[in-house]
Amino acid sequence: MEIIHSDVLVIGGGLAGLRAGLAAQKRGQQVIILSLVPPKRSHSAAAQGGMQASLANALKGAGDNEDVHFEDTVRGSDWGNDQEVARMFTHVAPKAVRELAAWGVPWNRVEAGERTVIIDGKPVTLTESADAHGLITARDFGGTRKWRTCYVADGTGHAMLYAVSDQTIAAGIPVHERREAVALIHDGERCHGAIVRNLIDGKLTAYVAKATCIATGGFGRLYQATTNAVINEGIGAAIALDTGVVPLANMEAIQFHPTAIFPAGILVTEGCRGDGGLLRDVDGHRFMPDYEPEKKELASRDVVSRRMEAHIKAGKGASNRFGQHLWLDITLLGAAHINHKLREVKEICQYFLGIDPAKQWIPVRPAQHYSMGGIRTDAHGAARGLKGLFACGEAACWDLHGFNRLGGNSVAETVVSGMIVGAAIADFCASPDGELTVSTALIRQCFERAQAEFGAITNHHGKESASLLLREMQATMTAQVGIVRHGEAMNAAVNTLQSLLLRSRDLGLSGRRGGADPELTLAWRLQKMLKLALCVSYGALQRTESRGAHFREDYPQRNDADWLKRTLASWPDAGQTLPTLAYEPLDIARMELPPGWRGYGTRDAIEHPLTAGRQAEVDATRAALAGSDRHAVQAALMPFRHLLPAHLRGDNARLGENA
Amino acid sequence: MRQIAKTALAPALPENAPAPTRHAHPDMARSSLTDARPGNSRWPARLDLLQSLSGLVLALFLVAHMFFVATILISHELFYNVARFFEAGWLFGEPQPVLVSMVASGVTGLLVAHAWLAMRKFPGGFRQYRAFSAHRSRLRHGDTSLWWLQVVTGFALFFLTTIHLYDMVSQPQLIGPYESADRVWTGGMWPIYLALLFAAEVHGGIGLYRLAVKWGWFVGDDANAGRRRLRHIRHAFSAFFITLGLVTLLAYIDLGRAHAELAGERYVPPGHVAVDHGKH
Amino acid sequence: MITLFRKPKPGAAPRRLTLHILRCNPADPASKPYLQAFELEEAEGMTLFIALNEIRATQDPSLQFDFVCRAGICGSCAMLVDGRPALACRTLTRDYGSDITLAPLPFFELIGDLSVNTGKWMRGTAERLQTWIAQSEAVDLDALEARMEPALAEAIYELDRCIECGCCIAGCGTAQMNENFVGAVGLNKIARFRLDPRDTRSDADFYELIGDDDGVFGCMSLLGCHDICPKELPLQTQIAFLRRKMAVEGLR
Repeated sequence: MEIIHSDVLVIGGGLAGLRAGLAAQKRGQQVIILSLVPPKRSHSAAAQGGMQASLANALKGAGDNEDVHFEDTVRGSDWGNDQEVARMFTHVAPKAVRELAAWGVPWNRVEAGERTVIIDGKPVTLTESADAHGLITARDFGGTRKWRTCYVADGTGHAMLYAVSDQTIAAGIPVHERREAVALIHDGERCHGAIVRNLIDGKLTAYVAKATCIATGGFGRLYQATTNAVINEGIGAAIALDTGVVPLANMEAIQFHPTAIFPAGILVTEGCRGDGGLLRDVDGHRFMPDYEPEKKELASRDVVSRRMEAHIKAGKGASNRFGQHLWLDITLLGAAHINHKLREVKEICQYFLGIDPAKQWIPVRPAQHYSMGGIRTDAHGAARGLKGLFACGEAACWDLHGFNRLGGNSVAETVVSGMIVGAAIADFCASPDGELTVSTALIRQCFERAQAEFGAITNHHGKESASLLLREMQATMTAQVGIVRHGEAMNAAVNTLQSLLLRSRDLGLSGRRGGADPELTLAWRLQKMLKLALCVSYGALQRTESRGAHFREDYPQRNDADWLKRTLASWPDAGQTLPTLAYEPLDIARMELPPGWRGYGTRDAIEHPLTAGRQAEVDATRAALAGSDRHAVQAALMPFRHLLPAHLRGDNARLGENA
Repeated sequence: MRQIAKTALAPALPENAPAPTRHAHPDMARSSLTDARPGNSRWPARLDLLQSLSGLVLALFLVAHMFFVATILISHELFYNVARFFEAGWLFGEPQPVLVSMVASGVTGLLVAHAWLAMRKFPGGFRQYRAFSAHRSRLRHGDTSLWWLQVVTGFALFFLTTIHLYDMVSQPQLIGPYESADRVWTGGMWPIYLALLFAAEVHGGIGLYRLAVKWGWFVGDDANAGRRRLRHIRHAFSAFFITLGLVTLLAYIDLGRAHAELAGERYVPPGHVAVDHGKH
Repeated sequence: MITLFRKPKPGAAPRRLTLHILRCNPADPASKPYLQAFELEEAEGMTLFIALNEIRATQDPSLQFDFVCRAGICGSCAMLVDGRPALACRTLTRDYGSDITLAPLPFFELIGDLSVNTGKWMRGTAERLQTWIAQSEAVDLDALEARMEPALAEAIYELDRCIECGCCIAGCGTAQMNENFVGAVGLNKIARFRLDPRDTRSDADFYELIGDDDGVFGCMSLLGCHDICPKELPLQTQIAFLRRKMAVEGLR
């Protein structure tokens, strides 16, 4: 048994993992990062449209600040998120953008003078101020009141990932590529690292560390129609679930992106609509204003996706031989704009659809895109249930996004949470709690258990095929736990998934190749993915309300009275076929922005009894502090800066504010 | 070495707990590199320039040479005058064929230098040859295949040109309508010249094209369009000079056959009486 | 793509495709490379991503290949398609004949079948060429960002679009003969950081990194890289530009 030691083990080489690793290393800890693929190939690269940060440089961003960003984020989450975390996030996002700028991300910049943009289908001339010339510009995104999304054409994630990855190389942090963490080393109280499988030769190694951080991204591959990369199988969350003591939160909160090309499911950025693109139906009619007169195409993603599905159901979908879809029309943006600002979109249309988006409409239909839920952590990224275990990025439920995340907030979350959680990890390692006290007996026990899992699959010679079960699971999830949900369908889905879980214990491999046989890898992952699918579907079935992206036909209202709480799914006994669910209430008394109407979508929420009282308190505080500095008002309502590491607490400069 | 460089260039982060020592970067980077090893030699740059430069000079010489020998198509007398011009009788009072020898020697030297510089890029050994060869046939890519043609014609040129240059160095005075035509036909050199013509014009055309692409000359704003244009020019160059060369060579062959009976007789332009050329 | 564009005739029966895949398992010392043929029915809009996954799901679950984004943006799936490097995920089978030969990218370490270790080589090259923003000043996270001309930012992004897929190396004649050659990917990165005002290195510093026959002077301008690059990076002009700058440096 080979053992590799480090202070910090980061599982996942995407933006969140890399940034957390860098932050920990810069505070003096020795870091090893594990990655399924070379880090620059991570799914972070697929974030196209941009990253939200309230810089307020562009004309249409004027007046933006952390407060507006915070409110947009909370409304977007349908009041399902953690407001302190949202404050921490919106406060650090401008710092993250600026740091990335210094690290080489070629953010698009404000060009002083007149320019023509498309707003609401019509050309509008904007005059950017000379003061802002050369500062980072922003585009419009859904669910935001200001143009806040900083971007690098439509390759924002790529540029960010490369800059951060290059910095980790500069810092000499080793990234062990083509490695998959298959189990956490733990004793039920403290996490000591992970058992890791080499995806080239199939060998297992024990990585022992003072702190372990899971940053493995989302689990879109539970679904058939997803924008996610093929590596997004949620294994990081699954090994946390396997411990039996770490809960996964809000797994039913799944985002569906309105514009995935149909049928391939490849994402075309929200920037298409942000820059003026329109959604059209079979008749070429622009239908979103009929449903959302205020935000139109730029309501939040959950709302737009739902309206699109409803419109298709109303018989207004266009169709091709693969099924029904709608059209995304960006022809009105002009070839020049598409060639410069939407290049990847153009390439994708060209290669996968054989069309020129400057001339033809793009067939789109909503597809699974993001998992708001994940490993439940506190504001510092420490996972609940195991000391020494941390999580950040999409794998975590830090709970920035609640039940719907805004476009541009997730790629921002990766770096922001990486900065915050990485610092917290380093502080943990340096504290007495961080002392490494693991026994080799425990390591061996965890190692042998992991080995036995693989052995059980290879030696079982059962009759089930992993790839068939996987397809069945994906089809079930897309059909029955999708955008529009219903108790009956979800009940059926839970039953199907349970039987698939049982069948997955009877797999047979053709066993043609030793080492890292892709067939064995798939079979092993399938069992983990089925558990996650059950957390999603069972959690969704139990949540008898609609909130954000979780929409139920049979319970169409948001129900704050009963459901202003987070679902916590755990799997204490490996023999279970359903997760154990528990709930964690959100504390209205501490909310800076008490629940209300989002400003788009249906206005029919069932109010929580404490909402009115808290709203009155908030109003009173605001009235008492009228005329005070906005930071002072905010601090009086909900202090959060103490939760941030010291170097991230300072006020952000803007043109005309602290500049 | 790498470790030192890395520390020197480590990203500056505010959360660094123990404030790292930061260095004024550029000097530090250089010194950290130079501490561990001497700086990169300047010779690769110079040799690369020399390879291009020698090729360019040879190609320009080739062009000029072609035009000079093609004057035979206008008249025997014109070619005679051109040949005499290079012996610089107009400068020294007496023609100096040794000047032609000297130029030919210079060209030989340049040729050898160019060949040596270019050979540094050739496959070194069978393994590399096989790797490149497999690559070329797999890729089916124009410019890659052209390079191979360049290597082949380069080899051919090295030997063919040497023969021709030896003639020019050893018998510089024997350049004239009859003299040259006799060498071509009676001397049996035409097959060599024919091969030389094709090899030189193809090699020169590709070489000039490569030179432009390599250094980014005449490419314009749109590199792809620029390269297409250069490709057309390359084709036109080779076609023009091969045609001109063929016609010229035919003229010499024709003249050589007509003059075969009198082979060895020197040409005397009309109006000149002296048999001993240059002494009048 | 130089290949002919073959649109299926409407109503015609779908084609039978034969994929000839170069198989090899370097972990098994007894394994010798061989071509294995797999037949499958072509579907509309079928990419090699779809075809290879179908083969793995229904015919041979041990077949090794790499896909991540399957959208042409991550650079994982470069392989030789009928001898030419391409991103398999966005290669449509309808652009090819009914027999398609697939082989792993040459030059890189083979992991198995169509999977090669480009990541390892890219990391090594990044360390060797120090391809990151080298700067001396700490970033003030609370202050306004440094200004940059909008056109310059776009020009940097143009070069920053490289996805490290390895196609340029596989298409490079020089790299086939000199395994130490940094290739277009390495040179393009130097050009990218050289252009970036946030990087404080000078041409003299860059000469130390690429001023030799393993660097810019090793390039023979065969332009396989430029013609094959899936992101259509301006490699031809960038390498020429660097060559001029480094030649000037060499004359100092």
